[in-house]
Amino acid sequence: MDALISRVGGEKQTTPIVMGAMWLLGILGFAVIALVLLGWLPFGERANISRRDINLIEWIIVMSAFLYGAASFHAGSGLLQGKQEGIRWGQWVAFATLFLGGAIIMSVVIPATLKHVLLNAEGINLATVLDGSVDSIGSSQRFLVFPADSLGNLGGILTTVGLLGIAVTAMLALASFVLPGLNVITHFLTEGAYSRRFLRLLMLTLILGVILMLIAGSYVVNSFPEAIGKIRHPAYQHLFAGVIFLVVGWFSYVALAQDEEESDELRRAVSLSPAKTIRTQLAKSPSAGAIIGAMAIFFFFAVASDLFLEQSSVASFLSNISTKGIIAIGVTLLMISGEFDLSIGSILGVAALSFLAFMTDGAPLLGVLQPLEAAILTLFVVAVLGGINGTLLIFTRIPSFIVTLGTMLAFRAVTLVAIAGGRILRYSDYHEFLPVVTIPGIVFVALAVIGILLLLYSAYRSLPVMWRRLQESATQLRANVGVDAGPNEAFRSVDVFFRALSLLVVAMVILVFLGWLVIVIGYHLSDQGSEVEVGFFDITNGRLINHCAVDPALIETGEAVMQGRERLGEGECSVERIVAGEEVRYRGMMHPVGAIVSDDLVGWDVNTRANFRLSIIWWLFFVIVFHLLLTRTTYGNRVFAVGGNPGAARAQGVNVDRVKMRNFIILALLTGIAGIYEVARNPGVDPLKGEGWELEVIAMTVIGGTLLSGGYGSIIGSMLGALIVGMLQTGLVLVGIPSRLFAGTVGVTIIVAVVMNTFVRGGAQD
Amino acid sequence: MSENGSAQTEAAVAQSNGAASADSPLVDMINIHKYFGSVQALRGLDFRVNRQEIVGLLGDNGAGKSTLIKVLTGFHTPTRGQIFFDGDEVEIDSPTRARELGIETVYQDLALVPLMSIARNFWLGQEPTYQIGPLKFLDQKLMEESTIDALADVGIHIRTADETVGTMSGGERQSIAIGRAVYFGKRLLILDEPTSALSVGETQKVLDYTFAAKDKGMSVIFITHNISQVHEVADRFTIIEHGRKLGDFTKDEVSQQEVANMIVSGVVPERLRLFDEDGKKENA
Repeated sequence: MDALISRVGGEKQTTPIVMGAMWLLGILGFAVIALVLLGWLPFGERANISRRDINLIEWIIVMSAFLYGAASFHAGSGLLQGKQEGIRWGQWVAFATLFLGGAIIMSVVIPATLKHVLLNAEGINLATVLDGSVDSIGSSQRFLVFPADSLGNLGGILTTVGLLGIAVTAMLALASFVLPGLNVITHFLTEGAYSRRFLRLLMLTLILGVILMLIAGSYVVNSFPEAIGKIRHPAYQHLFAGVIFLVVGWFSYVALAQDEEESDELRRAVSLSPAKTIRTQLAKSPSAGAIIGAMAIFFFFAVASDLFLEQSSVASFLSNISTKGIIAIGVTLLMISGEFDLSIGSILGVAALSFLAFMTDGAPLLGVLQPLEAAILTLFVVAVLGGINGTLLIFTRIPSFIVTLGTMLAFRAVTLVAIAGGRILRYSDYHEFLPVVTIPGIVFVALAVIGILLLLYSAYRSLPVMWRRLQESATQLRANVGVDAGPNEAFRSVDVFFRALSLLVVAMVILVFLGWLVIVIGYHLSDQGSEVEVGFFDITNGRLINHCAVDPALIETGEAVMQGRERLGEGECSVERIVAGEEVRYRGMMHPVGAIVSDDLVGWDVNTRANFRLSIIWWLFFVIVFHLLLTRTTYGNRVFAVGGNPGAARAQGVNVDRVKMRNFIILALLTGIAGIYEVARNPGVDPLKGEGWELEVIAMTVIGGTLLSGGYGSIIGSMLGALIVGMLQTGLVLVGIPSRLFAGTVGVTIIVAVVMNTFVRGGAQD
Repeated sequence: MSENGSAQTEAAVAQSNGAASADSPLVDMINIHKYFGSVQALRGLDFRVNRQEIVGLLGDNGAGKSTLIKVLTGFHTPTRGQIFFDGDEVEIDSPTRARELGIETVYQDLALVPLMSIARNFWLGQEPTYQIGPLKFLDQKLMEESTIDALADVGIHIRTADETVGTMSGGERQSIAIGRAVYFGKRLLILDEPTSALSVGETQKVLDYTFAAKDKGMSVIFITHNISQVHEVADRFTIIEHGRKLGDFTKDEVSQQEVANMIVSGVVPERLRLFDEDGKKENA
């Protein structure tokens, strides 16, 4: 360890430079915060430059810049002290800088390429557009179909190369994974350098293939002139900044990576104790590939299209993906325990059908049910279906693929028979108004009290520790004043500052939430909030941003619900009306916390038309709950064991069959919940509801890093996998590439993701 | 064989009627039959382990060693036969039941889950938890610390319990599996071919752990093909052939070569035969 530090601190000439770079990057980070806050550096969809107008994206940038700056300072001061920690932080900062540089360069290159290619297809020179001599492209432009007359130009060549690239890549990938003699993964794990280079080459080819395919795709199918207008104008001056970031990041990373190797050797020589490098840290997390992939795809679309970061785009893909994401949680759990389920699409269909039918036609023997009762009965039904899957698997020992293939077809028969003749079962054919439930205010009071208790507990756990650490730092600083006025002191003062700041921030956040909960309790204890009428579909999967005023007169007649929903779609009412203190009554999720809505939402540019659905929140909730279940409880431990080595699990007294059975039922229940959300969003069911979902959801899970063979995976990874699929779905359309290429892109993404996951994980094991 | 078996049964019943005395064997399996369909894996086999004794269980491939062990550890239920543990007749119908009795097993191939950390493997099936409301959460800190301490107790020193088992060598894995079994096993430790994939140095360590377990007051069943190893550690050998017991021999009365011959030929040397048939030698 000493050797390492002396090497970093002493002999190497690069270290002071890296250190200086870290300090500069830190200053830059805080400069960016200042610029954004002052309104001199606009981002996102900002209409006019005024300090009150900071939008969501800019807040995100401010926070990221703060983290970035703080991390850079921390790394710089750590290196100054010659601390091991400094190297680690430095690596992360270097990595982030590298990524930032790449992203900035991409933000110029991607739109430039896309625009060039698309314009080329339209026969317009890019330069003239940039000059401003051509403002917009008329819709009279001809459509161009490959390969009519394009083979002569660059686009045609690109297309050919792209298609060739895909073909070669696909063949290569297929050959290397399927042929036993060429099995890349075994080679990679056993032999090292040669195979690893080969694998890297393969990955590069794959990525190149994807890029070329995107470009080629814009050729093969008609390119629409309107799409070009949506693509951002490339700002070539940004290239300069991008290159600087790239160079600084690359230099720091390489300079610090040498030490990483040394420390890695050290690690092996001394013990198993981890000098945690980026690589080993990433390799430990099953979601590493998904994290990188999600970031890359997010940046790709963010720079390729101005529309991608608009609230309505984000809302659209989040809302579309959230129900599938909820199912993906269950699939992950089941897949980790070594099984999988093809019947979830059909189960979803049955769930949606039962839920709706119980409320309209009525359940057998029970008659027409209230929505809540119908939901509970639906969950019971799907639990039985999951139980059937599990029971068949356990008693017949037939592989789950076969069992669930059978039940997939069998369960599908339910919806096909029940909704015969090409009919669609619709709620509005039976009832005039959407269902409304009345919730006593005391429920919200109880929830708020639980929230307060949780907050107090977390404060009790975190604050004293932070306070003690701050004190320790401060005492050390005081002890050293005048004695050792060198780098140590500089480091400590930075340290004390950040510790104090973080303590303050945490305390503030807790206080604000406490205050909010107290207000909520007060509201619901008063007459006004003692009883809350909510649309049932609104609390399950309603619009999230729903501050819409509804005419009080309409509420009396009961028409308000339907009308309210329609009005929301038009975005008729806005935050301003509420802020203005008008007498408004509204339904939806904001109602229970209505006391707050009228308070302060100023400054947040909320687009009421953005279709954020409540299922996003539910999705996050389930992700957190099941992540904790999987990583922090006995049950999760056993799920991993059952999938990783069933024999060992059984030998240690784990009831393997019971774990699998439970996972089947959990998956079915989550699918049922997703089905209810689907109905709540769109109260109609067709016989083929949910068909094809099973493979899409399994794709999300696999992209998220879960092994099909079981024993390895994470819920967070699956969430990212779902995000990747969702972003592709929305993003491809936004950059003007026809949605017909969506399935193909997801296919390539799966292959890339799995190769990347294997690559990263392999790195941990050699 | 059957007469002999019934005679022993009576003896064992007589023993179990009295209080579980220190003299009674720890495990007494009497007239065990196990059929898999038409395949007769065990055909009236008697097997006994005394207190604080290391028994080498020997036999050719397919002799029925693994089946016998799986019957004892609750993986298989015997078709016929009785099992006495600590003088009481018991029915071991699940691995959990075997564990409750204090029987811990290290299997050759299914000891650990490679993609899980040392600590999680160590505590698998009996994780320490703390409870918040109805939920039981893993006490991760306790798991990690106690894993390191517990393994140190049996002479295995690791720096961190956070590492995945998949990154470790075969010997390290076997050490952890045995360390776990010794830590949790109160009465009987079963080692199923523990050294088959290990280097010489690692093998020596495993043999040391075996003695450590005996010193802690446990009995050990040591199953292996390697006669020289088992001859080094075992107090007594039980040789099985074709689902039947060929005989019990103490370490002093047979040489390595004789044991090897018996496994190969299935014939007990003339000079040993009388003692064993009577079944008196062991009681004396």
